[in-house]
Amino acid sequence: MHIELRGISKHFGEVAANADVNLEIKAGEVLALLGENGAGKSTLMKILYGFYQGDSGEIVIDGTTVEIDTPRTAMALGIGMVFQQFNLIPALSVAENLMLAYPKSPWWQSRHRPVWSTVLENLTKLARDIDPSKLVRHLAIGEQQLVELAKVLNLNAQLVILDEPTAVLTPQESERLWALVRQLADSGRSVVLITHKFEDVEACADRVAIMRAGRLVEVADARGKTIDEMVTLMMGQHQVAANPSVKSPQKDIQKLWIKSISAKDRRAAIVDIELQLAPGEILGIAGVAGNGQRLLADAVAGLAVLDNGEVILDGEVVSRLGRQPVNPNRNSKIGYIPEQPLENGVASDLDLTTNLSLHRLVGMPFFPKKQTEQAQAQKLIDEFNVRPSDPTKLAQDLSGGNLQKLVSARELSGMPSLVVACYPSMGLDILSTRAIYEQMFKHAERGACILWISEDLDDLLQYAHRIAVLSHGKITGILPAASADRQTIGLLMTGARKTA
Amino acid sequence: MNGSRVLRAEVFPILASACLFLALGAGFFLLEGHAPVALFLEMVKSAFGDSFAWSETLVKVAPILLCASAVVLPAKLGLVTVGAQGQMNFGAMAGTALVLSMMNGSAWVVLPLMLLTASLGGAFWGAVPGVFKARLGVNETISTLMLNYLALQLVDYVVHGPWKDPSNLGWPASANFPDAAILPTFFGSRVHLGLVIGVVAALILHVLVTYSRWGIALKVMRSNQRVALSAGLNYERNVIIVMAISGLLAGIAGIAETSVMQGRLQAGLAGGYGWSGFLVAWLSGQSFLRIIPMSILVGGLLSSADALQLFAQLPSSSAIILQGMLFVSALVVMNWVKLRGYHA
Ligand SMILES: Nc1ncnc2c1ncn2[C@@H]1O[C@H](COP(=O)(O)OP(=O)(O)O)[C@@H](O)[C@H]1O
Ligand SMILES: [Mg+2]
Repeated sequence: MHIELRGISKHFGEVAANADVNLEIKAGEVLALLGENGAGKSTLMKILYGFYQGDSGEIVIDGTTVEIDTPRTAMALGIGMVFQQFNLIPALSVAENLMLAYPKSPWWQSRHRPVWSTVLENLTKLARDIDPSKLVRHLAIGEQQLVELAKVLNLNAQLVILDEPTAVLTPQESERLWALVRQLADSGRSVVLITHKFEDVEACADRVAIMRAGRLVEVADARGKTIDEMVTLMMGQHQVAANPSVKSPQKDIQKLWIKSISAKDRRAAIVDIELQLAPGEILGIAGVAGNGQRLLADAVAGLAVLDNGEVILDGEVVSRLGRQPVNPNRNSKIGYIPEQPLENGVASDLDLTTNLSLHRLVGMPFFPKKQTEQAQAQKLIDEFNVRPSDPTKLAQDLSGGNLQKLVSARELSGMPSLVVACYPSMGLDILSTRAIYEQMFKHAERGACILWISEDLDDLLQYAHRIAVLSHGKITGILPAASADRQTIGLLMTGARKTA
Repeated sequence: MNGSRVLRAEVFPILASACLFLALGAGFFLLEGHAPVALFLEMVKSAFGDSFAWSETLVKVAPILLCASAVVLPAKLGLVTVGAQGQMNFGAMAGTALVLSMMNGSAWVVLPLMLLTASLGGAFWGAVPGVFKARLGVNETISTLMLNYLALQLVDYVVHGPWKDPSNLGWPASANFPDAAILPTFFGSRVHLGLVIGVVAALILHVLVTYSRWGIALKVMRSNQRVALSAGLNYERNVIIVMAISGLLAGIAGIAETSVMQGRLQAGLAGGYGWSGFLVAWLSGQSFLRIIPMSILVGGLLSSADALQLFAQLPSSSAIILQGMLFVSALVVMNWVKLRGYHA
């Protein structure tokens, strides 16, 4: 299938999300659509998928102009898309979700084996270890992504559009996805891979199309571009900041003591976690998502029910056995960037001003001054480059990346003694990622401890002082970052204990 | 917001609800064999036609307004309570206990103490489902509903039993309140202090939930409890506080009805005011400001019941039917506007 987008433009109010975009998608190719947040990548592909209507322009498939008014039309034409935000039904099992979306599925829930195995075939290829009878709400984000992908593959689409699929995957999962993408292309299908990661481009793209501020600025052979060239094209005039630097921590003093804590909830468990951090130390927690990261972060931040142990910060217990007491002072001591900021980090139907002042709310004057609060919020919004930059906008109107910036802006704006950050760069482009890292490491420089949960091994290796690996709720090893390597960490991630 | 948006968002739904309500009401009157227009005009006249009509309407506004506040406040925390009816009863009972124990006290002592005990009684009856909700996660709508019946039974019991006054010739009621226990009334009418308390309370609560730190905290807790917890906000404590304040307001409504309107404790003192307050709160979109005019409207509707009886020989409970129609009309229009809003 050969697709041509001609002169596509799309405005959202004042914003030109797409401006006169001409793009060709060839049969059997992997086209990487590269660009920083807000460049217009998702919008362009949602127009092709019939989710939005372009203001102008046309779509030509195999020489004929087509009108794609709904995703249903797009699917009938053989176009499938996995969105950045998933469309799964949390209360149903994996298999049921796939069955619902399966075009030839009967309206009753068949227990007929052959039907199930066809429906599950693609999923099995993608991820052998996902149990199809598990409820979707109990899956990690990375796993949900794979289920979404299986859904689209089940439609037997000739063009598969993936919107930032690797943003939520572990290194291993990413590699498996790249292989799958290549396989799809080799079987004659086309894949559009929306991304802002260069490793995606390098790993599996034939061609790369680069967007900036709604325009297509370059289409080239993927091998023909260096990363520096691509960065410049993506960022335009912006100067790319130098990598943030980190100081080494003070030795031999213990500031944070995570004292053999155990906890469990419906989705995960952590067992006997023991960690000690020195002032200024950045401890990276590596591991595949869904191995207890969220619970560990909650437990250290004093928000989870502990079955055992306690957490001591500056000689003071911040998390203790049993249900945690409501602690109005937590916010002045601990900056916490939780995973999935929309659910865990913001009051989504309230404005940015309120969301940016949550950590100070308890200590505010009884009648806070609106102007003062808005001015403070505006300062944080500008400092962390949150878009839209209007403090009266609601948090739910922000994109994922901007929500991430919003939560980081709030949690990193005080003088915390401890920063717990879960995937702080999720959904962010390089520039914003570096900005967040800089803000985070600034606190380490001040002497705060940083507990940094990430799936980005390269970043952990570059910036963390030590890396602890979490697997099945246990710490399987702790390595100094200077002497750690990907292989060892990868092995520890699978659960093999370090024998040293 | 520009003019036409205000028109679309505010004025249109009100007009549409009013039209639908009038149409339903007209249908009802026609079915009963009466000319709708004339009857509606009679109703308006008997509710707002002269100063006596106004005073009788305002007498009904007082408990409705207090009960509406008692619904709006918990709604700010995402709680749906239907307990005003029971809190009125329990508050009235607590206040009566005080009065019966100080039959010869002076008004300066009895009145404040009566208001205080009634407030505390209502607050207690509100706090109980609050504690159930906070500690055990018991659904507050169900528990407040249950407690309504319990409070009703308690009042029934005391007026049939321990507090029954033999001089009432078998009628189940407490002894008449002494003059010192009658809330002050104004302008030689039955309009009483409860109305002032209701308006002042609504205004104070409006300022608190709109501008204070506590108001922000309530919004945050309603929006995302996890985030509220990590911000150090105590959801459980606030559930109890909010439910207690809500009960307190209804308790005042209860003692005001008992003291001024009935002059003694007897069953049925709460009328249907708890329910009217609930409707008013919903019709006003849970706004402390809008419940004031809305209470006047519904109060007028209820007080025109006499006109219905007098002019059309309709039973006075017809006013309740009309009140239900008003609620249905507004709900239908609101939902319709909301649905259309999504497609726009
Ligand atoms: N539904 C929408 N309503 C308003 N603005 C939108 C909407 N979707 C996207 N935009 C805006 O259009 C621009 C492009 O967004 P998007 O296509 O999501 O970018 P990308 O996927 O490259 O990050 C951004 O400025 C974004 O804020
Ligand atoms: Mg996007």
